[in-house]
Amino acid sequence: MPHQCTNCGRTFADGSKEMLSGCPDCGGNKFQFAPATAATADSSGGAGDTEAADAESTESGSVTSRATETVRDWITRDDDSTDGRNRQSPDPAVQSTPDGSSAAVESEQSWPSSGEADTTEADGATGEAFAEWPETARRPENRTDTQTETIDESGDREPSHQQSDEPTTTLADDENSAQADARSEVISAGDLPTHTDGAAVSEPRHGVDADEPTDAATAGDDQPPEHGRVVSEPSGDRPSIDDLREELNKQFESIKIVRPGQYELNLMELYNREEYIISLQEDGRYVIDVPDSWRDSGDSDE
Amino acid sequence: MGLFTELKDSISRVTDRLFSEQEPKRIGIYGPPNAGKTTLANRIARDWTGDAIGAESHIPHETRRARRKENVDIERNGKTVTIDIVDTPGVTTKVDYEEFTDELDEEDAIRRSREATEGVAEAMHWLREDVDGVIYVLDSAEDPITQVNTMLIGIIESRDLPVLIFANKTDLEDSSVKRIEDAFPQHTTVPLSAKEGDNMDEVYDKIAEFFG
Repeated sequence: MPHQCTNCGRTFADGSKEMLSGCPDCGGNKFQFAPATAATADSSGGAGDTEAADAESTESGSVTSRATETVRDWITRDDDSTDGRNRQSPDPAVQSTPDGSSAAVESEQSWPSSGEADTTEADGATGEAFAEWPETARRPENRTDTQTETIDESGDREPSHQQSDEPTTTLADDENSAQADARSEVISAGDLPTHTDGAAVSEPRHGVDADEPTDAATAGDDQPPEHGRVVSEPSGDRPSIDDLREELNKQFESIKIVRPGQYELNLMELYNREEYIISLQEDGRYVIDVPDSWRDSGDSDE
Repeated sequence: MGLFTELKDSISRVTDRLFSEQEPKRIGIYGPPNAGKTTLANRIARDWTGDAIGAESHIPHETRRARRKENVDIERNGKTVTIDIVDTPGVTTKVDYEEFTDELDEEDAIRRSREATEGVAEAMHWLREDVDGVIYVLDSAEDPITQVNTMLIGIIESRDLPVLIFANKTDLEDSSVKRIEDAFPQHTTVPLSAKEGDNMDEVYDKIAEFFG
């Protein structure tokens, strides 16, 4: 999933053309490049790393399922919390994340990314009561928003934390251990690649990125995220920047980053592209302008 | 009688506009970095609208975003040609911040080169999508036969866009208009110095002729 929407976090497979007309979920046209290699690298170090949110997401499958189990147990005890709390309290997030991811992995790989978030939540609500689905169904949206904001702006993030703090602490602890276990296992296991590729990954990622940290109650994490954790993913691992650049270069033959400040351009390739890169960043982040937004901006200029 | 002819003139100008079927043509000013594109764009814009388009600099890649000046009315022989001018970033196949480190600190130089690269992408995009004609500006003191020039003019030809080649900087000692004419014999070359304002009459004649 080398490409990720910096707005909603949706990821796109290498070579995917979906993003060329903007993010199908949120319409965003800002993407970042997160090569699988870098992500994997991050994940290995990742247990404690809030910053390496992506990496964590990558761990996905096995981890998540494990976490899910633990969470489920926990949830089962806490029946009440499911509905009312879920929306805002961290707990729901926790629950939802693992469940959703596992669900996604198991049953619906093909799910659209937007749906993923929803799935997560719904599942999180509980596998037990489907009747609650509709209610819960709304949450995802709410959540998605909050998540997005969380990613972009530090301010938004805080509220979620505060809420999470009160009831969560205990839960958080549970989760921590669960996640830790899961993570260690995951890392050693060879499962990663398989899960990484699927659409499922992106979904867990939603949950994981925004929620996991919160759940984990890792207080330290919150600050870095503000600045845009999305951005930090690839750059988090310094040594991998070269790899990153290489991968980027492979994909975008139109502009080769020799090193920061030095570029080689393939004019024909640039000319032939319908979309075009309007912003480059050394960490592998870039912004493309898609034809529609181009026209819009053009009009607004006038 | 004077009143009548004046009236007639202005009426015919209005009808000219009414019947000029399309919107003003969008003319892209293209060329390698530091050829004098912005100086030319500013010259044209100042002559006909009173405003400038963008900042000029002797450091290459001063223009890193395409800039547009709309509805520039150029009057020639009693007729008015209305064009939109797009001043584009200089097109090149290599951008290296070390080119600027003499005059900028490293951080600024790197940023400049990154923006310049984005600018090239933008310029190429405009060429593909949004330009009805091209003024190709060359520094006549430099060798015109380069990969960039050949490729860009090739692209322009392949799109069948009307193109004028401007041999700029004729005020420089090393200037050779002939070298440019020889390099691109299939196109009309107009010598000028945008900086000094030399030969601008012919420039406007040709613009009206080619893009009117």
